[in-house]
Parts: sequence; structure tokens; C-alpha cells
Amino acid sequence: MKDRTFGIILAVIAVIGIGVTTALLVYGYNLWKDISIVEMIANWGF
Amino acid sequence: MDSKKLGKQLAVIILVIALFAGLDVAVYQLLIRRVISHHSPGMQKMSVEVADYVPFTGSENIFTAEDAERLEGDIPTIDGAAGLLPLYAGFVESIYPEDSVLYNGESYDASSKMHYTNTRGAYKDIVDGKCDLIICVQPSDEQIAYAAENGVEFEMVPIGYDAFVFIVNANNPVSDITTDQIRGIYSGRITNWSELGGKNMPIAAMHRNEGSGSQTALEKLMGDTPIVPDYTTLNGSPIGFSFRYYVTGMLAEGGVKMLAIDGVEPDIANIANGTYPVTSGIYAIYRKGETNENVYKAVDFMLSPEGQKIVEESGYVPVN
Repeated sequence: MKDRTFGIILAVIAVIGIGVTTALLVYGYNLWKDISIVEMIANWGF
Repeated sequence: MDSKKLGKQLAVIILVIALFAGLDVAVYQLLIRRVISHHSPGMQKMSVEVADYVPFTGSENIFTAEDAERLEGDIPTIDGAAGLLPLYAGFVESIYPEDSVLYNGESYDASSKMHYTNTRGAYKDIVDGKCDLIICVQPSDEQIAYAAENGVEFEMVPIGYDAFVFIVNANNPVSDITTDQIRGIYSGRITNWSELGGKNMPIAAMHRNEGSGSQTALEKLMGDTPIVPDYTTLNGSPIGFSFRYYVTGMLAEGGVKMLAIDGVEPDIANIANGTYPVTSGIYAIYRKGETNENVYKAVDFMLSPEGQKIVEESGYVPVN
């Protein structure tokens, strides 16, 4: 594989990876704003 | 040589993909899994949604006195804690004129005689003169100090009680705790559920916002003992606290349970007979020296048999 091709593949993976992680964090933050302490405890630990 | 290079490149690509996958799994496990609501809309209604407790909308969640005398003249602006919204919504619908409540679908208008700014906002607004009567649990030291700085003294009339409860995951084998153990957890002396007869799992001690009613209740329970920072661990299993009314609606669907304290369950009977050790008073609070007679009429109504019936029907324990 040419270095240029390898670099492009890595860049695409990085963009997708950062995009997915950012989307998950934004999604989680929006859920967190609305959830009650009671529900959070229900979901956590066991 | 080329195949060796290709092998290295593929290994790097797989490693990068694996790193992102691992990161996303961690985000899911540490954040998203904990904050997805699994409760049905019916159960969620049992927690306090403002729109479900707007007076004069025919809400089934509000309990009222049918034939109570309505206030006339200078109507006092009322506000209060989130967990007590059902209570003062019932008082307002019983004795306030209907046209004194102005709700625009999302919040109360500034000119409305009923507001909803929660405990912190209510304590600030009564000191600042933006409201005349609030329904809250006891104030924090900071709220008392803020009042003193502004030359305001609170007159606090007990109108009911609720239990201050500690809640854990329903699958946590620990069901009973002592007040000393609670102080141990929130001071950082007890850090693992195994010390309480549970699994070998760290305890995450959850907090509320500074100045909220339940956070103030915890501070009163802890006395002079310093409280550990929030979320002492990201793994393990949490303990949290709230008032009984806030929690009971969620219990039916599972997920959480309230702990007995010193062997006493936090039910209505044990709150009423005083055996549950950490109850909290519900107060009607106004400024000392208040000159609006309607404030006193409203408080008298809250203490009357009709008012106390609203306290009971709304899910709290009456004082009379």
C-alpha cells in the first residue's frame, strides 16, 4: 500500500472515529440533562 | 519487503479502529448506559413535570379543597421546591383566583401569582421581594446568610413532613443502613459496599446541587463532618438521596430501592409516628413582619383540615 493511500485511510478512519465519539458524547450529554438521579442509580452498577 | 510493510500498515489500521471502538464502548458504558431512561411515561409522570401540575388545568395530579374561601385583594406570589410542587399547586387551585395564575405552556409569566423556580430560586426570590410565600424544606446555611445580609428573617411554619431517603440500585444486596454508615459513606470513611455486607464494589456517593433541598438535608445530617466530592468512583455502584415523594413513583417499575435506616422503612406510618430517623419538615415560609394579610390566610388554610387533607392526598405526611 502506498504511503499516501495509507495516510488517506488513516485520516478517514480518524474522521469517522472522532465523529462517532463526538456524536455519542453529545447524545449522552442531552440524555444526562433530563435524567433524574433516581433513574441514573437504576442504570448504574449492576 | 512490501508484504512486511503492508502487514504493518494493516496492523496500524486495525489498532486505530480498535482504539476508537474501545473509546466508544467506554463512552457508552460510563455515560450513555447510565442516562437512558427506561421508565415508562406513566412512571416519569410521578416525578415532577411542571406542565402536569399547573393549577386550573383540570390536572388529575393536583388535589384541591372544593369549597375553600378564595383570597381577594393583594394575592401573595407563591413559589417553592420541585418536590413540593404538587402541594402548592393544590393550595393555589384551592384558594387563589383562577386569573392570578398565568402559565404560557412552558413557564409561569412574571406577573403570575404562582411561580416555579425550585428551592434555590425560591429562597433567593423571597429575600429579594420577588415572591411572598414559599413552600420548601429548611434553608441551607448560605440561604440563611443571604437573607441576613439583606435584612430578612424567615418565618417558617411546618405544614407537613416527608422522609429523607437514601436510594441504591434495586439489585444491590444492601437494604438497610445506619445513620453512622451514611456519614461514613459521605465522609469517605466507607468506600466499598462489602463494608456494609454487600458485594466487593466501590461506592459512588452521588450529590445534588448546592442549595437544593435534599443537598441541604444531607448537610444537616452530616453536621460538621466534611462531605466527599461528588461521584467518588466511575465504576462501582452508586448511592443517592432524595425525598420519599420523588422516589416512590419510580419504585413500581424497579431499578431502585429505598434503604431502611437503622432498621426502619421510610413509609408513611413510620414518618408519622416518628420512628423513621431522618424526616424533613415541609414549611410555609414568609418574611418576618409580613404585612400582606393574605399570606397569613394562605398559611392558615394550609394548616386547616382541608389544607392538611391536600398534604396527605398529595403524598406527604400532614402535621395535624
